[in-house]
Amino acid sequence: MIKKNKAVSTPILLVIFATAFISFAQILYKIGSLQLANTSGGFSALWLSIIKDYPLLLGLAMYAIGAVLLITALKDGELSILYPIIALSYIWVSILSIFFLHETMSFMKWIGIFLIVLGVSFIGFGRKVDTQRIKRKRSKQRRRRR
Amino acid sequence: MTILIGIALVTLGTLIGSFGALFLKLGSKNFSMSPTKIIRNWHLILGCFLYLVSSIPFIISLKFGPLSVMYPFVATSYIWVTCLSIIVLKEKMTFFKWLGIISIIAGVAFIGLGS
Repeated sequence: MIKKNKAVSTPILLVIFATAFISFAQILYKIGSLQLANTSGGFSALWLSIIKDYPLLLGLAMYAIGAVLLITALKDGELSILYPIIALSYIWVSILSIFFLHETMSFMKWIGIFLIVLGVSFIGFGRKVDTQRIKRKRSKQRRRRR
Repeated sequence: MTILIGIALVTLGTLIGSFGALFLKLGSKNFSMSPTKIIRNWHLILGCFLYLVSSIPFIISLKFGPLSVMYPFVATSYIWVTCLSIIVLKEKMTFFKWLGIISIIAGVAFIGLGS
């Protein structure tokens, strides 16, 4: 019982950290994207502006850390719990873009965010049902082999 | 009008990223920590490559509109991944997956209309 609890809580912590990294990375992407050269200036100009774009590079690094944490968590976590936590990143990014980028959130946009969080959570539930079915099938096959 | 270009770019990015996720899944079947096997696992390499490439249209899209409009469209990747895993990986469509896809489409529509 204790072992089971431990296996559930570690992926949850990992996913919370992952979404924090990924959400902050989006803010850095946005700040960095404004420093990028126009694509009309040619590819060499674009590459040069990427190398000098520190917010963007920092954002990419944070995203990479977040992605690794996410993959580790999803490997042995409970999808129906992890997906809703991942989906919360849509709320964090909205709040962060109000604070850091001075963007405005209309009522319509909040409804949209709410529906997306709900939708991603539903897909998490759907995948959980899938993995349970696959696991049941595998254990049945194993029993048959014995 | 510029927001529409941005939205199109994000959607393109999520489409590329979803193919990346598909190849990562295919590559994970033969995954082992040995470097020689990782190099020969072309599914895994293509998956990583597509995943990286998918961020390029997204970052460019941020020049065309606010983050609070562009980022929610990243959720469309769940639609593509679900479709691809049903067509290619022969996963089953479930009631909850339908509900999720419909809800995400509605959510994204609200974001688009509200901006």
